[in-house]
Amino acid sequence: MSTRLVGSVAATLAMVLVAGCGGSSGADGKIELSLGLFSDFGYDKLIEEYMASHSNIKIEQRKVKMEQHNTQLATQLAGGRGAADIVALEEGVVSQFRASKDKFVNLAEYGAKDLKDQWAGWKWNQGTADGGEFVLGLGTDMGSLGLCYRSDLFAAAGLPTDRAEVAKLWPTWADYAKAADTFTAKTPNVKFVDTGRNVYKAILDQTEEGYFAKDDSYIAEKNDKVKTAFDTAAALGTKQQTGALEPFSQDWNVALKQGSFATTTCPAWALALIKAGAGDAAAGKWDVTTAPGGGGNWGGSFLAIPKQGKNPKEAYELAKWLTAPEQQKRIFKETGNLPSQPKVYQDAEVQATVNEYFSKAPVGQIFATSAESLKPTYRGTKDSKVGPVFATALTRVEQGKQSAAEAWTQALKEATDAAK
Amino acid sequence: MTVTRQETETAPAVSVSPSKEPKRFRLSHWDARYTPYLIITPFFLVFGIFGLYPLIYTAWVSLHDWQLIDGNQGFVGLANYVELFGDTKFWNALFNTLSLFVLSTVPQLLAALGLAALLDRGLRGSAFWRAGVLLPNVISVAAVALVFAQFFGRDFGIVNFLLGFVGIDPIDWRAETWASHLAVSTMVMWRWTGYNALLYLAAMQSVPKDMYESATLDGAGRWRMFWSITVPSIRPTILFTVVTSTIGGLQLFAEPALFDPGFAANNSTGGSDRQFQTLVLYMYEKGFRLFDAGYAATIAWMLFVVVLLVALVNFTLTRRIAGKE
Repeated sequence: MSTRLVGSVAATLAMVLVAGCGGSSGADGKIELSLGLFSDFGYDKLIEEYMASHSNIKIEQRKVKMEQHNTQLATQLAGGRGAADIVALEEGVVSQFRASKDKFVNLAEYGAKDLKDQWAGWKWNQGTADGGEFVLGLGTDMGSLGLCYRSDLFAAAGLPTDRAEVAKLWPTWADYAKAADTFTAKTPNVKFVDTGRNVYKAILDQTEEGYFAKDDSYIAEKNDKVKTAFDTAAALGTKQQTGALEPFSQDWNVALKQGSFATTTCPAWALALIKAGAGDAAAGKWDVTTAPGGGGNWGGSFLAIPKQGKNPKEAYELAKWLTAPEQQKRIFKETGNLPSQPKVYQDAEVQATVNEYFSKAPVGQIFATSAESLKPTYRGTKDSKVGPVFATALTRVEQGKQSAAEAWTQALKEATDAAK
Repeated sequence: MTVTRQETETAPAVSVSPSKEPKRFRLSHWDARYTPYLIITPFFLVFGIFGLYPLIYTAWVSLHDWQLIDGNQGFVGLANYVELFGDTKFWNALFNTLSLFVLSTVPQLLAALGLAALLDRGLRGSAFWRAGVLLPNVISVAAVALVFAQFFGRDFGIVNFLLGFVGIDPIDWRAETWASHLAVSTMVMWRWTGYNALLYLAAMQSVPKDMYESATLDGAGRWRMFWSITVPSIRPTILFTVVTSTIGGLQLFAEPALFDPGFAANNSTGGSDRQFQTLVLYMYEKGFRLFDAGYAATIAWMLFVVVLLVALVNFTLTRRIAGKE
């Protein structure tokens, strides 16, 4: 009797566990593919089309927040089950997952290397390992830098409002800081920039080596560029010219709506976030121009295929199609995510694209020009562990808890620990 | 379900051999003696699978250099524990955890006691009030945290707005240690005071009324009766709430996590200088952001020990305070 009872409990548990895992072929005999994404990749319509033209395939999108996505993926890779057939890897963490590449399918096995020339060279390289022999992911969008500003707030502070004039105002970040001083002197109640953290990140993204040298050795404490970027951003914080906001948080959205800051660094994908946060009332008030200090890349993702999936071949075909030039162009028109393929962003139609919300700014041209000149930063394997340490250090300066020097010292110490 | 199954299976076993009385006797004897154990077996089975096994496995992981994705990187003995004892971030997290625990649990249980005493006095529409105090507990913690995070906003928060009326400058609730602890504790109190009040109320209603009557005859006031009759009478319930609140309070995670605007992004450290990073938040950071599962497992085990110790201390203290027997 007791064994039967145990047996039935065990059977029930087993059933629950099995049901939780789910099969990869549905009852109707279709191949089911899942896509693990975060934020908006602009795939909704494309997926419908793909399913219409491939009657044997059923696609499901799973969207969660980025941090959650990364954590989930890590546990799913560790557990050997549960990951989507295709997963998005963001540029900031791709190096971290590259270190566990044996959990992913080498896309070269399916002929991905033939596609290499579609992408900007650096974008392709970010998604590969072993000197290009192992293809981890196919590039989706990229995040070439621009600078967004509120022209009405600039006018109130006596600064130029035309985007060409504004660009002339800040060829370098030092000039940007000067503009901040002028702005604050005239309108002290409005913050010049949302957060020093984004300024810091943007400056760092314009250098070829940040926390790690290209041989993956940790160099933050001796790299002047890191210090300069930190000092520039911290100075804005010390002078209380920043809103001390957590980027893209609820508070950031509220501040956008209230118009309490005048500029923010904006990679192409950030335009949609600003528009969503500021709302219709601010239409035509925001504008985009060239970022100080030249081109840089922040963000953009890759589509990779975990080995645990049951249909890697079909998953690869879908990933290949979603990242193909024609699709990237359509996504740009729909969401504004900048294609990572030179042929696409040089396309006349893309170049001619203007963004209505951002005072009809020629975003296609601005971001494509920025993309042309950018030299991407090398991301070390532990970049995503070191980066946040400096970000919180800047928050401490902005909150008035520490001086720039104190925050820097503490950050270096914590970063050395994190890089171990 | 298990109970009915038990009965239906016992019945045929008995009816097959009706002639043998002794066996029947033995069977029913056996039944009375062992059935209770059988009935609670499923719990221990499930506990074994989902409680004990992870506990032991975590201990095993904590003795290794274990990366979240890549798994076991080799046995390191007690190295993780040695590192933990020298880790200032761990002690900081432990301090925050204890501080938040004291700040939220002590006022919470006292308020619950007061609330229960009020509800016990037979208010009009008592069902409404009783259901009402439980409401905060029913609402999802994410929603509560979202609302409170707005209340305690630095620039546009309602708390700072109200403080402005009495001439207090806006407080950056996330920047300062004490301010952040106060804010997080408020959230915890909001969620759990009503729940504990209901537990107390249930216990208070079983206190014999004649004790109050005779006390009234002896000229005791309400205050005196509360401390000399009510509180000692509901002692077991107080002990129970103290232990459960200790376990819950020391494992605080969702409230401080959601109070930190960086949590949704990449910075789940509980404040710019770990002002309100609890042990569980630190464990989360190590395990799921830095992928150091071995170290996270070590923190988990230390947390287990801390909870055990504090629960024991609280249990002893409360038993002393809440009256002698």
